[in-house]
Amino acid sequence: MDLNRLSNDKKLQLCKWYFKVGCILLPFVWAVNLVWFFKEAFVKPPFEEQKQIKKYVILSGAGTLVWATLLVAWATAFQLQRVSWGATGDALSFIVPLGRA
Amino acid sequence: MAYKNMMNLVYLYLMTIGIKVIRCERLREQMYSSIEGGAACFRRLNGTHQAGCSSSLNGEVGVVQMIYNISDAQWLVHNSSAGPYMAVVSTTLYYDIIEILLRYPDNIAGILLYDNATMSPNFFTQESQCPNEYSSDPRLGQCVKPGGIVWNEKGTGLLRRDIPYPIFFLPKARIGDITKIEECYNRYNLDKDNQRGRPLCSLQLNSFMYAAVNSVVCLRRSASSAFLSSNKVCDPLGDYNVYYSLFPRAKETGASKKTVTLVTARIDSASLFDGIAPGAASSVVGLVSNIATAATLAKMIPVTDAKLYDQNVLWTLFNGEAFDYIGSQRIAYDLSRGAWPPVSPLSPSDIRLHIELGQLGGSLQLFKDSASWPIYAYAPYSSQNATAPQILEFMGEMSSYSTLNNITVSPEFTTDIPPSSLHSFRQILRNVTESGSLLEILLADHKGTFTNKFYESALDDYENIGYVYHNISIDSEGIFIPTADLLANGTMKETEAQVKIANLATTLAHTLYQQMSGKPYTGSVKASAHLVDEMLYCFLRSQACRLLLAADYASNSDELPADRPLPLYVGVAAWPSPPAVYAGHLIALLTGNHLHVNRTDCDKNADTGFSYYWLRGWNHSGICIETTMNFSQAVSPAFIKPDYDLTSGEFSSWTESVWQTIWARVFVRASGAGARLAAVTGALATAVAAILTFWLQRHSALVFIDAPSSVSSDAAGIIRTVNC
Repeated sequence: MDLNRLSNDKKLQLCKWYFKVGCILLPFVWAVNLVWFFKEAFVKPPFEEQKQIKKYVILSGAGTLVWATLLVAWATAFQLQRVSWGATGDALSFIVPLGRA
Repeated sequence: MAYKNMMNLVYLYLMTIGIKVIRCERLREQMYSSIEGGAACFRRLNGTHQAGCSSSLNGEVGVVQMIYNISDAQWLVHNSSAGPYMAVVSTTLYYDIIEILLRYPDNIAGILLYDNATMSPNFFTQESQCPNEYSSDPRLGQCVKPGGIVWNEKGTGLLRRDIPYPIFFLPKARIGDITKIEECYNRYNLDKDNQRGRPLCSLQLNSFMYAAVNSVVCLRRSASSAFLSSNKVCDPLGDYNVYYSLFPRAKETGASKKTVTLVTARIDSASLFDGIAPGAASSVVGLVSNIATAATLAKMIPVTDAKLYDQNVLWTLFNGEAFDYIGSQRIAYDLSRGAWPPVSPLSPSDIRLHIELGQLGGSLQLFKDSASWPIYAYAPYSSQNATAPQILEFMGEMSSYSTLNNITVSPEFTTDIPPSSLHSFRQILRNVTESGSLLEILLADHKGTFTNKFYESALDDYENIGYVYHNISIDSEGIFIPTADLLANGTMKETEAQVKIANLATTLAHTLYQQMSGKPYTGSVKASAHLVDEMLYCFLRSQACRLLLAADYASNSDELPADRPLPLYVGVAAWPSPPAVYAGHLIALLTGNHLHVNRTDCDKNADTGFSYYWLRGWNHSGICIETTMNFSQAVSPAFIKPDYDLTSGEFSSWTESVWQTIWARVFVRASGAGARLAAVTGALATAVAAILTFWLQRHSALVFIDAPSSVSSDAAGIIRTVNC
C-alpha cells in the first residue's frame, strides 16, 4: 500500500491500528509500524495528525526495543546455559541436538 | 619432432577424455575410493560418562600419514604442517603410539588401524587394566589399591575412555585396502616438509553418533516425546542369560526342594569395534568348557535318576559381563528378590556352591608344547571366617580327578579375586556371601595377571588359543568320538586345546558327580574332544557349522548363517543377538531327552517341568527335544528398578549410541589453489561489476543519449498505478 495515496487521517488510523495490533504480543507489527511511518512522523513537513502519528511511532519503537532486548537476552542465555540446565534445557528445546551435550 | 610429440600428447589427451565420457563414470566415483569391511569404534555411555568415538556429522577428513615408527607419530603431533591428519597404524605399533595421539589430539582427524598378517602384536587389549573396576567388590582385589594385582597389564582402557576422533579397524582380510592407501600415500604425501598447498592423499571417516554425555541424558532424550523430535539416541545394553538344570525344578515343592550347585560361565566378549568380538580366551573357552561339562554330566546322571539325588546342578551362562557384569548382576538381583528362575525361584540359601568357569584359554598357547594345563581355583578368603569345609572338599576332589586328566588344579585362597561374575554376587548378595553361607569358587588359568594378552579385543581369535579344526564328521545319532580313541589313532595330540578343554570338562563333571552322589565316579563317561572341537569351530570360526545347524529350529528355513565367526558382543536389549540363542539351543541338543515323536505331538507336550523344542537334529530330519533349558533377561537392574538413580553406580548402566551410517573413503584432496583462484576471481568480478554499475549510474547522461528525464509524466503515472 502506498502511504502517499492515503489521506492524513487514514494514515493516523492505520498507524494507530498497527500499534494496537502490536499490543497483543506481536512486536513485529510494532517494528513494521516504526519503519513504515518513520518518514511520516519525523521527515515529512508538519501536518495536523503528525503529532499523534509521532506518538504511536515512538511507542511502537520503544516496544520493539524492549521486545528485542528481551528476545536477544533469552536467546543468548538459552544458547549459553542450555547444557547446564540439564533436563529443563532439553524440555525447552524444540530440536534436541544430536551427538553433543 | 617436438611438434609431432606435442600432437601425440594432444591426441592421447583427447582419447582419455573420450574414454572417460564413454564409461559414463560418476564424478564422485572417479574422485573417491570407498574402503569396505572396516569396523568403527562407536560410542557407549554409562551413568556418568561417554566412552568410545564419534566423528562429526559429515565425517572427519584428514591427510593420510602412515605411521611406521614412534618418531612418525611424534612428527605428526608436533611438526606436521598440513593437518589435520589421519594416522594409519598397524596393530603391532598401536600400543606404543596411541597415548601420544590421544595426548595431542589437535592435529589428528582420526585413526585407521589395520591388522597386519605378517606381523602380529604380542599383546593388544583395549580393556582397562582393572576390568569392571567400579562394579567389583572393593574388598576383593581392586588393582588400583597399593600392592593390588594389575589384572590386564597391557590394557589401554580405550573401551572406557572418551576418544576425541573416529577410529576404524581393518581386519587381516582387508589388507588390500591398506595397500591402496599406501600407494596413494607414496605418490602424493612422501615429501613431508612441503605438504602445505599441495594435493594430498586423504581419508574421510564417518561414524557420527547420536548419543552424548551419559546414559541419563541420552535415555531422557530418547524418551522425550517433544513435538517433532522423538529421535531415539541410545539403547540399554542387554540380551539373554541361559540356564539349564540337570533335573527339572519346576515341580519341586517346599519339602522336595533340592539344593543346587550353580555352575556358571560368560557368553559375551567385547572389542572397541563394531561387529568384531571373537573373545576366544576371554569367554569362549569358559563357555565351551561349561557346555561340555553339562553334556558330560547329563550322560553320567540321566534325568530319570532324579529321585536318587537330593542335589541338583544349575548351569548358567551370563551375558553382558564385559559391561559391569550385566547378566550376573541381574541374576544376583533377581535372586535377592526371589524372582529367578521365573518358574520355581531359588533363594540364596538353596545354593550350596557357586562354581564360575572364569577366564580360561589364555595359557593354552603358553603350554602348547606340554600335555598339562594348570588351572587355579580361587576361593575368596576372609580373615573372619575359616574356609568352609565344602570348599576344601570340592578342591580336594577336583584336584584328585584333575591328576587323572592331565590338569593341575591349584587352590588359591585369596582376597584378590580376578574380574568375574563372583563380584556381582559378592556385591548384591553381600549378606550371604560375606557370612559364608553362599560358597564360591572361580576356576581360571591365570595366577594373578591375565595370561590372555588379547583380553576383550578384536584379536582374541582362534589363533590366540592355538586352535586348529580337525573336521571330523558326526554320525546321525550325534555320538562323538571319545577323546581316548582320538588320541590313540593319532587324530589329536594331548597338547591340543580341544583335548585339554575336554579333560577339564571331564574333571569338573566327575567332581560334580562325587559331590552329588557322595561316592567317587567309577564309570567311563568322559567329555569328548571331538565335541569340543566342533563347539570351538562354531564359536570361533564359522556359524555355519554342524552343531549349530543341528541345534537350529527345524522350522527355520532362512539361509545358512554366515561363514564367519560370531561377534560375541552383548548388543542392545531391544534386539536379541545370536550367541545366547546358539548356546541355549546347543545345551538343549546336547543334554536334552530326544523324544521319538513327530512335530505335532512335540508341540502338544505341555509338561511344566520341561520345554519342548522341535530342532533340526543330527540328520536334519527334525527331532523333538525335552529340556529344562530356558532363557532369562540379561538387562541390568538399573533399567528395571523403579526410581533407580543411574548415576549411583550401584548397577551397570551402559547404553549404546544409535548411529545411521558408518563409512570410510580415500581420495586425493586438491591443493586448494584452484578453490582460492575461484574465490579471488569471484570477489574481483563482483567488485568490478559494482564499480562499473556505480560509474554508469553516475554518468548515465554521458553514456545514454536520451536521459531518463525524457520519460513522460503520464507514463510515470501509469507505472505508479501498477506499482500500487
